Amino acid sequence: MDSQPTTSPLTLKAEPIEVEDLRIQYGPVIAVRDVSFAVRPGEQLTLLGPSGCGKTTTLRALAGLERPSSGTIRVGGHVVYSSAQRIDIPAEKRGLSMVFQSYAIWPHMTVFDNVAYGLRVRKRPRAEIETRVQEALDLVQMGAYAARRASQLSGGQQQRVALARACAFSPQVLLFDEPLSNLDAKLRADMRIELRELQHRLGVTSVYVTHDLEEALAMSDRIVVMRDGVVEQAGTPTEIYARPRNAFVADFVGSSNLVQGRLRPDLARGGLIALETASGEIVLGDPCGRTPGATPTFSIRTVHLQFSAQRPAGEVNVWPVRVHRCVFQGDFTQIHVAWGDRDLVIRSAALEPIAEGQAAWISADPARCVLLEGE
Amino acid sequence: MAIARPSLPRISAQTIAGMALAAIVGVLVLYPIFFLLQAALDVGDPDVRPPTAYGLGNFVAMGHYAGILGNTVAVSLAATVMAIVFGFVTAWILSRTDVPFRRTLEQLMAVPYYVTPLLGAFAWSMLGAPESGFINQVWRAMGGHGALIDMVTPFGIAWVMALFEGSVAFFMIGAVMKSMDPSLEEASQVIGASRLRTMLRVTLPLVAPGVLGATIYVFAEMLGSFTAALVLGLPNRFYVVTTAIYQLVSQYPPRLPLAAAMGVSLFAIMFVMMFFYRRLVTSRSFVTVTGKAFRPRRMDMGGWRWVLFGICAFYVLLSVVLPLVTLVYASLQQIAVAFPTAANWTLANYRGALTMNAVRSALTNSLLLGIATATIGTALMGMLCWIVYRSRLPGRGIIEYVAMFPQAVPRLVFAFGMMWAWLVIPLPIYGTIWILLIAYLTVFLPLGMRTVSGVMLQLDKTLEESAQMCGASWIYRLRTVTMPLLRPGLVACWLLLFIASVRELGASILLMGPHSKVITPAIVESWFATSSELTAAMALIQTVVVAAAMAIFVMLTRQAAGPGGD
Repeated sequence: MDSQPTTSPLTLKAEPIEVEDLRIQYGPVIAVRDVSFAVRPGEQLTLLGPSGCGKTTTLRALAGLERPSSGTIRVGGHVVYSSAQRIDIPAEKRGLSMVFQSYAIWPHMTVFDNVAYGLRVRKRPRAEIETRVQEALDLVQMGAYAARRASQLSGGQQQRVALARACAFSPQVLLFDEPLSNLDAKLRADMRIELRELQHRLGVTSVYVTHDLEEALAMSDRIVVMRDGVVEQAGTPTEIYARPRNAFVADFVGSSNLVQGRLRPDLARGGLIALETASGEIVLGDPCGRTPGATPTFSIRTVHLQFSAQRPAGEVNVWPVRVHRCVFQGDFTQIHVAWGDRDLVIRSAALEPIAEGQAAWISADPARCVLLEGE
Repeated sequence: MAIARPSLPRISAQTIAGMALAAIVGVLVLYPIFFLLQAALDVGDPDVRPPTAYGLGNFVAMGHYAGILGNTVAVSLAATVMAIVFGFVTAWILSRTDVPFRRTLEQLMAVPYYVTPLLGAFAWSMLGAPESGFINQVWRAMGGHGALIDMVTPFGIAWVMALFEGSVAFFMIGAVMKSMDPSLEEASQVIGASRLRTMLRVTLPLVAPGVLGATIYVFAEMLGSFTAALVLGLPNRFYVVTTAIYQLVSQYPPRLPLAAAMGVSLFAIMFVMMFFYRRLVTSRSFVTVTGKAFRPRRMDMGGWRWVLFGICAFYVLLSVVLPLVTLVYASLQQIAVAFPTAANWTLANYRGALTMNAVRSALTNSLLLGIATATIGTALMGMLCWIVYRSRLPGRGIIEYVAMFPQAVPRLVFAFGMMWAWLVIPLPIYGTIWILLIAYLTVFLPLGMRTVSGVMLQLDKTLEESAQMCGASWIYRLRTVTMPLLRPGLVACWLLLFIASVRELGASILLMGPHSKVITPAIVESWFATSSELTAAMALIQTVVVAAAMAIFVMLTRQAAGPGGD
């Protein structure tokens, strides 16, 4: 892992989290289906998935706000929930802290009172409360707003106060439930970086829930991709992006072309395997140590296909195509090309306009053509 | 960090509170109902308790009173039709057209509800009695013969109730019309349909479920209504089910099992109607009417807008202004006539009402009861709401169901069950104001719960959850987060309970003892026993007290909505 937080004395209080076979059921509906994952001390783990995939439910179960049907949850080595041992520690006694999507800032209190809440609950001496609230507010650059009423703040400011409130009482673990989704795009990008830095500085273990891919890639040490209450893949952001396990992850984590074909062992070489598509194109790709299933499929990211007017150098994975449609989208241009009997989608920072109907070439590095796991 | 060790699930404060509340609600609601059912099935010796024999004889005996049943249905139907017409027309005008002074009119539309059926019945009796009614006096002075109108009739009962329930219908139908997406109507007009056609083919079908819901609700309320039928029906011995029950209980010798059987039948019918009402409200209306608030498009009515204004103003005139003016007018005369001489004016009625010991003690009792009911009730119903709508305790759905039960039971019938229930308990509370307190807390459970839950359901759940994540215990959260944020709802609940208690008649008239009189039954007694002028003064004094409470209510809620409401 290349992005371990720098060790500081604060990391000592970071605690690991283990979730085993977590199942959450509402009547006949199973929201979370036997999910297991672990978060190392000081690590930032993100639960990523489309809405309704069970990520928020999982986080709320971790917090103690939702009652699981079965499974085990351990925080800092202590069991906080276990169906087998009939343990269910109430949320307020788990020592976790949480930042909510709705901010949940109390409108009837000042900013100071909001942030001091967790310390007052713990009956800290007055002087300590004042210094720690100020510290927490300074941390989120809201030091000047202590006396304001919470209802007078903007969305971004409320989110910072929520963050300060969550940190002020030095929790062992921070939980984030889509904390940035109510902010506008620009503010969201800024807050993303701030949150990441803050998390590193505090060195606290955190679990972050989002449906936003960029957010997940930018902020996490590790990502757990979920769908329909099941973990689809877990790994570092690079692993998830470069080596998606299946079509869902490939498609959800950035856009991908999925290419199916028949295995051609005779053309395999140098650790690569070869597929022949229905219309006869030969594609070489990286098996990533996986065994091909009944319908072997490569995932090729739209940005990993090279588009050129002239035939590029190289022997393999070079194909003539015809431009079908070309959509200018600002930072990149999306080009749809006819390739055999189907379309491929390419995204490139095109320099000059491309005429529709034009003949051209595309190529792909075999290392970027990733074999998905068989069913 | 709490050290987790294998242990039995601890019993939390929340669980204890939940069980205690479930027990309280169970005793308050189900215990009297049990006695009501027992009495209805009692066919044994009427002087022996518990019953010596059970059977359906009392229900069979109701066959002799088929006329009363017919009366009830006829009056309720007539009143419902009128109330729905009032409500629908005013709701359409105020939410769909560019009628002038719309906001003022909308606020005025709530007032008829606070001018109770009691005041309405008194006033319309003074206005429309065949001989002495002011309107008939004016009619004869203008050269007419006989009586122009007669309000001491079944029609009078329906009329007074319709004016009162019209306000309820207005708010129910208005809510549906306001939440309807105006683009549905615009779509119809864009494709060339006329305004009338749009109204008939699009607007009407869309609001139909809401109107039907209001109709069922109002009809059920009419079946259980008591006051107007008592004031306007008793003089001519015209009975509906509720007044018949009252008569059977208070006559000598009382015929309690028969009264209980009537009560149970009425309760069963209202229960079925409320069931359909709830089904209707929770199923269909949500399809056409989403939770989103739209800014309804208002039709440009041109010169007609003043006609529409006149219609709304006329309703307010009939339901509020005319009754109140009539009562004030009558209360200031020695003998109320339409054309009083100078010597006829007097303040003696007010002096009399305020100095009579009976009135003073009844008013004091009512105010004390109002404060006690409101205070205990707000605490009880606030906690109940939290347990029902916020906790994860098992069985909370059942608690809600039981707590909302009294809505389907006429208060008079409920009080009847309670009379039995608390007679057999060896606690000396029967005939004291304590039984009235218990009765009020029970019959107003739905009112209080609805008021608090309306605010509670709007409160984002994560506001409490974030306090929990900060480590706050349940009690600490309630005290520091939930209660301060619920303040407007709790204030509203307190005042509504206070107002409802001070004006309560149906339960009080059966349960009050000779030394624990309360004001509304005292006013009714005065109406039948003394003069209508004195009664008018008493009723107005009560109204002023309630209005003062209302003013405080408005002031407090404005204050609460000021800084906190973002």
